[in-house]
Amino acid sequence: MSRLALMIDLERCIGCKSCEAACKQEHGLGPHEYRNKVLWLETPGKPKTDFLTVTCQQCERPACLRACPVNPPAILKDPETGVVSIDEARCTGCGECVIACPYGAMGFDPVDQHAVKCDLCADRRAKGGIPACASVCPGHAIHFGERDDLLAMAAEAAQEPLDHDHYLMGPATVYLPSDGAGDAASEDAVPSLLALVADAASRDPLKAATMEGPYRAPRADRTADRVVPGGCNICFNGCPLKFHLKGDTVVGISGNDEDPNFQGRICPKSQMTLQLYNNERRLTQPLKRVGGRGEAGALAPISWDQALDEIAAKLMALRDEHGAETLALFSGTRSGIISNNGYLRMFSQLWGTPNIESTEPFCSSSKNLTFGLVQGNRALANSYTPTDIGSAGLFFYIGDNQAETRPVYFGMVNQWRKQTGARMIVADPRMSATAGKADEWLAIRSGTDMALGLALIQHIFANRLHDERFCENWVAGWSEWRDFIADKGYTPAWAAPITDIPQARIETLAEEIAAADGCMIFASRGLNQHSNATQTNRVFMFLAAITGNWGRPGGGYFNMSTTHFIQANVPLARRAPIEKPAAGRSPAAWLKAMTDGDPYPVTAMICANNPFSNWPSQERVREAVGALDLIVHLGLFPNEVCEIADYVLPIATGIEKGGVTRAADERRIVWNDKFIDPPGEAKPDGWIWIELGKRLGFDDVLPDRYKDVTVFWDEQCIDHKELGDCTVEHFRARPDRTIRVPSPDAGTKADETLYREGTTAFGHPDGNRFGTASGKLEFWTPEQERAFAALGLSALPEFYSESEQLIELPYVVIDTEKDFTSFPKMFSERPARTRPARIVDGSNDPPSARLRDQGFDTELITGRPPAPHFHSWTHDFWQAQEMWPDLYVQIHPDKAAKIGVEDGGRVRVETTDGAIDARAWVRDGIRRTAVYVPIGWGEHQPFNPWKPVNFLTDHTQRDPIADQTNLKTRLCKVSRA
Amino acid sequence: MSAIAGPQTGESQQTRAVFGTRPLLAVVLGTAAAVILFFALRPFLPDAWSTPGSPELYLTGVLGGILALTPFAYFLAKRSEHSDNPPAWFIAHAVAGCIGVGLLVVHSGLYLRRPPALLLAGGLFLIVQGAWARIYLAHRISGTFGGKFRAFLAPDPPDKAQLARIIDAKRALLATLDAAQSEATFRPTLAHWSAHPILSWRYARLARAEMGLIGQRRAVSPAQAYWRALHMAVAALFLLGLIIHVVTVTFFAGYVADGGPIHWWHLADWGGPDR
Repeated sequence: MSRLALMIDLERCIGCKSCEAACKQEHGLGPHEYRNKVLWLETPGKPKTDFLTVTCQQCERPACLRACPVNPPAILKDPETGVVSIDEARCTGCGECVIACPYGAMGFDPVDQHAVKCDLCADRRAKGGIPACASVCPGHAIHFGERDDLLAMAAEAAQEPLDHDHYLMGPATVYLPSDGAGDAASEDAVPSLLALVADAASRDPLKAATMEGPYRAPRADRTADRVVPGGCNICFNGCPLKFHLKGDTVVGISGNDEDPNFQGRICPKSQMTLQLYNNERRLTQPLKRVGGRGEAGALAPISWDQALDEIAAKLMALRDEHGAETLALFSGTRSGIISNNGYLRMFSQLWGTPNIESTEPFCSSSKNLTFGLVQGNRALANSYTPTDIGSAGLFFYIGDNQAETRPVYFGMVNQWRKQTGARMIVADPRMSATAGKADEWLAIRSGTDMALGLALIQHIFANRLHDERFCENWVAGWSEWRDFIADKGYTPAWAAPITDIPQARIETLAEEIAAADGCMIFASRGLNQHSNATQTNRVFMFLAAITGNWGRPGGGYFNMSTTHFIQANVPLARRAPIEKPAAGRSPAAWLKAMTDGDPYPVTAMICANNPFSNWPSQERVREAVGALDLIVHLGLFPNEVCEIADYVLPIATGIEKGGVTRAADERRIVWNDKFIDPPGEAKPDGWIWIELGKRLGFDDVLPDRYKDVTVFWDEQCIDHKELGDCTVEHFRARPDRTIRVPSPDAGTKADETLYREGTTAFGHPDGNRFGTASGKLEFWTPEQERAFAALGLSALPEFYSESEQLIELPYVVIDTEKDFTSFPKMFSERPARTRPARIVDGSNDPPSARLRDQGFDTELITGRPPAPHFHSWTHDFWQAQEMWPDLYVQIHPDKAAKIGVEDGGRVRVETTDGAIDARAWVRDGIRRTAVYVPIGWGEHQPFNPWKPVNFLTDHTQRDPIADQTNLKTRLCKVSRA
Repeated sequence: MSAIAGPQTGESQQTRAVFGTRPLLAVVLGTAAAVILFFALRPFLPDAWSTPGSPELYLTGVLGGILALTPFAYFLAKRSEHSDNPPAWFIAHAVAGCIGVGLLVVHSGLYLRRPPALLLAGGLFLIVQGAWARIYLAHRISGTFGGKFRAFLAPDPPDKAQLARIIDAKRALLATLDAAQSEATFRPTLAHWSAHPILSWRYARLARAEMGLIGQRRAVSPAQAYWRALHMAVAALFLLGLIIHVVTVTFFAGYVADGGPIHWWHLADWGGPDR
């Protein structure tokens, strides 16, 4: 047999660290105990972050073995396979092998004091498996096999392995070097680790971590007695999983290899939910405030009956005094779709408050609204299959860092484009992990994506590169848009100084998009979290439409993710009347109602999410929420809200309660059964809404039997015609527990690609290719124009950006002199207050200029941290902290030098709303004029607490159409802290 | 890709004897507390416990010396091919060494102005340094993983030709030293050192030269690179001092007593002042 080895393709590695997570759960490793590790390396002068997966090289001449003083040695080399392994039972923990390994690939258990190393998962191999790292890698970057076969595979793909045998050790591990964009550093430049994750101080907080589940447990204690299918309930990738259970404990989480597309590939988050299900910090008892808000130890355990009785009584008293609208309901990620669109939605209809929101107004309300307007429903048309998205000729990402937000999907895309030779271009103010894999990075000015889109469209029309037939047949209002854009002069020359992208590049990009045999345009929060989000989404949808990239395999516009049709409704006769419109379409609009009673008092809030992390203007949020008469918090972990909540109710999650996972991009729904009990007295939030409803007289509509989520799902959630096949029984009949919609019945398989020519949109009259009234994609109609005009705008895409920019650009303001109105029905399902807006010419006394005069001279960009984190809940997972401990500020070396900060140093970032501190991540991969701060950190997190970035954002900067907040572009000051 | 079976190795093998931070601290601090307690209570004990060389303190010293020799037994055992359980030997070395030094402190009666005090200083250093390495340095050692990433990029690669010459020299030497072995996995064991000390020394020198050329020790902190070498060097001096002390008190009891009474068992009192 040839030597066994791993082959690690650094071009395909996306730095997600899924292999690390897989290794730790497979081998029961604890904090800072490694068999493999993904390094992020920065090189001066080079904008691209490099990834390097360090693992044992299985050397021909293993230095570790020769350094071992024990006789016979504690390190062994299999003469047949060449695998170097350690016999931990013989290791005395002297550490000589750690010193001897020139590659730094020998691990050490600092607790039990012995060396640890990769043996290519001998236990898995013995059972016919492959190493855990290779089994999960989302990027298809890790291959396992006989070394000769791996080398042949590389040769076949014309990839030259890296020569790293500088020490004549004969390393077996094969590395295929990265060849992505940004390889511009001088040959003298030496890469370095991020100080942020490399220094000893960042490791110390994990000494307090407690180990539950498989970590640091003997093999017997982490060997499952049953394996059951389900899905990951964290992000929009909705990955199919297998849960490995031992009794009532989850001891392992792997990808579901029975799903033909995912093939068992998952990101680290799925695996780290082991630290969600087995976490001693979980809330386990209902708590009641017995002292003042903010006082330590002022929460005391009470019974569920007492908690719910008291909450119901207080709610009724407040309703009697102020009306039903005085209650605000806020939910989000942790609650899950069945709670948000089912139990909570029905509760709100029974109660009668219009003030119910999830995190959608901070994430995606603009694109949801836009898909509804343009396409007639919110489902994304394409699927992640080789024959659909995999067949695209060009991938254009704008405002979407898919490699970190949906790493498994990105791994598929990157793999397909490597196989087909498709190009990938990314427009982003910083070189994200996605941009690092692309052929080209366009460092666009934040908040000017709309200008780029308009110029691309203008150039395509001006050069008659558009798909005339598609436009004529399937795009309503295309000529109005064409003429408007031409009249406005939105040319590449106009857009170049706005976007900071050269005119010639805009022109060639337009030509590439038009010429591509299928162009997938990916957008996300980078477009959505702006005050021009609705219009920007419409512009890029239009770009896709006029180039024929809609309703075809390999062509489309994606903006994560598909919103399900799951909308449980109370019978009309039983709904409480909504007497007043919602204070707005965003929780940001509730603040004035909470503090000033304007337009009416909001005095109570039940929040199943963390407003003290994810709402903008945190100073103001804390003042407003703190002024409420009643705060009830449904949570998994103690957090900042618990500091002021009057009642804290512990909730179940994922397979502790069952239900569907998050909405995936490609219309997939994944079902989880309830497999384990929640910790302590924690309850599914559906149980809580039913029990609370019972005390308010809602039990005729929300009966006890709905506490069984399977009953509730089948009876209340799949009423929509597109979900007919999605019964629990049908989910259970599928090994991957996955159904793609629309799926009206078991005999109808959902199309991979919706809206293809010659098809009819599901549930629409014959010939209607799209789900709109006209059967076409609708970009301008008289009805749309009237709706936009009601808000002071036009359905035609007049450019504006944000009010805080380093150059003068038009921006939008809510016209406070105009009377309040309600959002047109086209824009809002339920009545909600707003005021008309107007676009202001940026050259006339702009607020930007005043701010710049005050020293606010830097663009602040916010966004997602790397893949292991997801909002605040992963901050209770010790391994996510091990991977990414501290809040950071990505800052260009020029700016860092100017303020005297080195990599890892402490930086203060300040806007007119507040200031936060974070650690510097100095890198060339960001615009010189910008800094980037990720979301998710909070002051009361257990390991690495930091003030959240939303102390810097402004809740008043909102999209007038979708009410979505600008979280992406502000001016700030940066200084050494 | 096909799965390829392999042997069961690593953490799934037999249970390893573990000596974590808490038991280590318990032994170190427990010994220190016992010694302090002894000296606190000594005024209330019979005079023999305050008389250097008294049978009580003599026997305490003998016991302490024997225990303090356990680390040397560990040194030999783990290199000897005859130890089934080196970690257990490690625990024995730590526990016995610590208690042994504690007994030697008691044996000293706190007469610290004579040369044997250096022996105690060495013993205490070994305890403190060993505990520091296990409790503190272990976390730094674990932090080494991934810390030598430049090895993959080799901006400053070693002289490969020189390396090749060293490896060739090792192979040539090994043909004489132990022809059945492969240079790729060979390091001289106790048996080699016993049978062929000069060849083993020459081989070890080549291995050190190879390591120096690659720069493995330079790639980690000096504390991590050299703590163990220092530990063993001080231990060797400690052993040497212990032997000298035993020889001195046994054969040169007069010199040791310096004109005073000799309470302890001895074979000769050479070296004492003439009376």
